[in-house]
Amino acid sequence: MDNAILIGLSRQTAMMRQMSVIANNIANMNTTGYKSASMLFDEYVMPVASETSPDKTLSFVQDYGQFRNVADGEMQTTGNPLDVAVSGEGFLKVQTAQGVRYTRDGHLQLDGAGQLVTQDGDPVLTDGGSPITFSNDESQITIARDGTITTTRDGTTASEQVRGKLALVNFANVQDMKNEANNLLSTTQAEQPVQSPRIIQGSIEGSNVKPIIEMTNMMDVMRSYESAAKLVDAADDMRRQAISQIAGTA
Amino acid sequence: MQALSIAATGMMAQQLNVEVISNNIANMSTTGFKRQRAEFQDLLYQNLRRVGTNSSDTGTIVPSGVQIGLGVKTGSVYRIMNQGDMNNTGNKLDVAIQGRGYLRVELPSGEDAYTRAGNLSLSATGQIVTSDGYTVQPGITIPTEATDITINKDGQVQATIPGQTAPQVVGQLDLATFANEAGLDPQGDNLFLETAASGAPSVGTPGSTGYGTLLQGFLETSNVNAVTEISDLITAQRAYEMNSKVITAADEMMSVTSNLK
Repeated sequence: MDNAILIGLSRQTAMMRQMSVIANNIANMNTTGYKSASMLFDEYVMPVASETSPDKTLSFVQDYGQFRNVADGEMQTTGNPLDVAVSGEGFLKVQTAQGVRYTRDGHLQLDGAGQLVTQDGDPVLTDGGSPITFSNDESQITIARDGTITTTRDGTTASEQVRGKLALVNFANVQDMKNEANNLLSTTQAEQPVQSPRIIQGSIEGSNVKPIIEMTNMMDVMRSYESAAKLVDAADDMRRQAISQIAGTA
Repeated sequence: MQALSIAATGMMAQQLNVEVISNNIANMSTTGFKRQRAEFQDLLYQNLRRVGTNSSDTGTIVPSGVQIGLGVKTGSVYRIMNQGDMNNTGNKLDVAIQGRGYLRVELPSGEDAYTRAGNLSLSATGQIVTSDGYTVQPGITIPTEATDITINKDGQVQATIPGQTAPQVVGQLDLATFANEAGLDPQGDNLFLETAASGAPSVGTPGSTGYGTLLQGFLETSNVNAVTEISDLITAQRAYEMNSKVITAADEMMSVTSNLK
């Protein structure tokens, strides 16, 4: 008898989480390089007492995972020479205090010492695995499509010099990467260099959240939640009637 | 119910976004103003089922776990330092900086501040000062009898004195550059202070390697682009609305729950 209530409850718990995921997507609508997430649900079949039992098996809802939509977000032109957008696959490599992290957030800047860092001050690594530091008289930092960084020294002719190449790496399974907050991801998979890197200077990649999809999902969750509540209500009614009628006739 | 607080972080972030945009629009015609942009980051994640953990004794692993994000936060509000347009004013004491560098200004406290607003004036004693009357370093005094002032692109200040054929050199303006200009601390009045993030200033002659040049009779306008700001404003406003809809939906779900018997 309690089964109906428990099945309804499993649905409602899953919905609550799905609502949190949708809320997080919408909250990160303007977050640089954010990738939208969606829940994956699974049927959990409860075994019955014996094979010959007349009882039907019961199905509960279980949220077993999340799917990260890795489609590109839209390119937003900022005009800032240190903003880079990664088009297509690949992640920038960042050295944090906790180890190497990966990000799609290309809002880079220089710190007081002239080192190329993320907005949290963590150094961005080149394909050689080292950070880049610019000296004070270098200007016009140019980042080419493949990540090669060139600077010029004003006043001198033929002064262009290559300063390194931004590391752009990819992984066999991008779903198996852990969100680490601050637009960073971590993984234990081996890095693979991106074959045809495409970095766009002066732009950043917006979030790939599609508001219309999130809003429809949200309405869907809301109404499904209501119907699951009706189920719990109905099961409750049945029990109430059973108690009063059986008790009344006895 | 997490959705409520998650949507609240979203609304707060968009509100800040609108504030930054409105400050840009308000300063659209401020001399030397550099537009700002709010940059957001995702907040912490709650791991309900960790990615990569074992899902059996035989070593199969969870390919994609359940991580509930807890919203959004402001990563930084940074200044975009690209060059503004040049506005021809014809005023002898207006100088625009083309390229990198800041004019050095001595605050009344004796501290040095830095500015790109080149709308300079003369004080009662003939000294070159900013529009607030603060001395522009290294302190140049124009003789009172001078009839004309020339500031060349290398920052040399020359005064034409009646009765003399050649203009007289009265001083040399210099520029300060920083490793990270975005790390300067804005003080209002178009002034900036040095911080640990900006690095120490390196002072040099305009036109030398790594420094911009000066342009007399021009002012650098703000680099705010009205079209960009308005489209950013629309995006921010709609995002704010959608976050508020999430709050309404989460509220409705909770009311359904509380109406259960």
